[in-house]
Amino acid sequence: MKRALILLILCLFATGVAIAQPAGDAKALNVKTFQFKYKDADKAAAIIKQLMSAEGSMSIQPASNSLVVTDRSEKMKAITDALAAFDTPPHPVKLSLRLVGASRSDTASKVPVEMREIGAKLAVLRYNAIDDLGNANVDGHEGQPTTIDLQNGYRVDFKFGEYDPSSDSIKLDDFRLSKVEKDQLVQVYQATLNLKVGQTLIFGATKTHGQRAIFLVFNARR
Amino acid sequence: MTSCLEFRSLFHAGTNDPALLGHLRSCDPCLDYAAHLDPDVMFRAIGGEDLVPPGGVDAFVEDVMRAVHVRSKEDVVESHHVLSWPRRLAVAATIAASVVGGTLVFEHERQPLPAAVQVAAVTPRPAVAQVKLTTKPVVETYSSANATIVEVPSESAGDTTKIVMVIDDKLPADL
Repeated sequence: MKRALILLILCLFATGVAIAQPAGDAKALNVKTFQFKYKDADKAAAIIKQLMSAEGSMSIQPASNSLVVTDRSEKMKAITDALAAFDTPPHPVKLSLRLVGASRSDTASKVPVEMREIGAKLAVLRYNAIDDLGNANVDGHEGQPTTIDLQNGYRVDFKFGEYDPSSDSIKLDDFRLSKVEKDQLVQVYQATLNLKVGQTLIFGATKTHGQRAIFLVFNARR
Repeated sequence: MTSCLEFRSLFHAGTNDPALLGHLRSCDPCLDYAAHLDPDVMFRAIGGEDLVPPGGVDAFVEDVMRAVHVRSKEDVVESHHVLSWPRRLAVAATIAASVVGGTLVFEHERQPLPAAVQVAAVTPRPAVAQVKLTTKPVVETYSSANATIVEVPSESAGDTTKIVMVIDDKLPADL
């Protein structure tokens, strides 16, 4: 009697396990193709990598700028949402830029009236003689290359990079400050800059400490 | 009482003399002797007429049948009480616990990741109000590796101006 009861319990335990067996559909892998209108498929691949399950896989199709994703259906929802948020039109960007020359003068300070605010900031670095080398306001968007010619033969080239919501900043890719000397455009420096939206950035460069410097004053807005 | 000597002198095959047959039931040597002469004598000597049970055959049969009837009733009653109600409840509870336990064990085993990790992995974009802004370096790359890049500390916490200075000996002197 006891043996029969134990056998019955074991059989029912096995039945319970069999009932709990997930349906085949829940474990099945789905395949979905995402074609991108505004962004690159390889950048999208980097974004969804952390969202995929161990069974998931993807392949990039550069010719059609698309991504073929294979994963479980419950993961596919999060992937689809992330890619939809990623593939958005380029954000518009407004950039104000001013080039300023600065030096230290032993005599009285020379700061133009319209540049008193900048002069107060540069006084921290003990620059008290300031001259305006030009300014520009640019309306652009992500990915747009821009060239600005300023005074005294200076030129600025850059490309608006992507807006980063996590740091609320806009990247200026391949930013180059150049100067025309003897009919030749000579690069002064090249950099990649991150401009926080709404914040004024004063970016200066000098050969040695205390020598004449040039400052670029940025203000980026969306 | 018949003696062995009388028996052997009077006995003949096929005899039904009760005195002779009665002697056979008490004397083995005479029984051997008689069986040698008449093999059927043993069966006649058993005395079948004397095996009638006390009270008669009908009374005996009635007793036997009553005993059989009582036994069969006992079996029926016993079979109806194999499992009492408390036992039935215990078995039902065990079955239910087994099914639920089996389901829970299986469900637990097929969980690929801890719940907290899954939530973190599946949540790609927190709501805007919950986003904690990260800080990126102002100068991500610069053309000269030997340049010194200095970020001037803000004068106050609410200062919206940031000053970054590059000291680069490869820059032209006549900036």
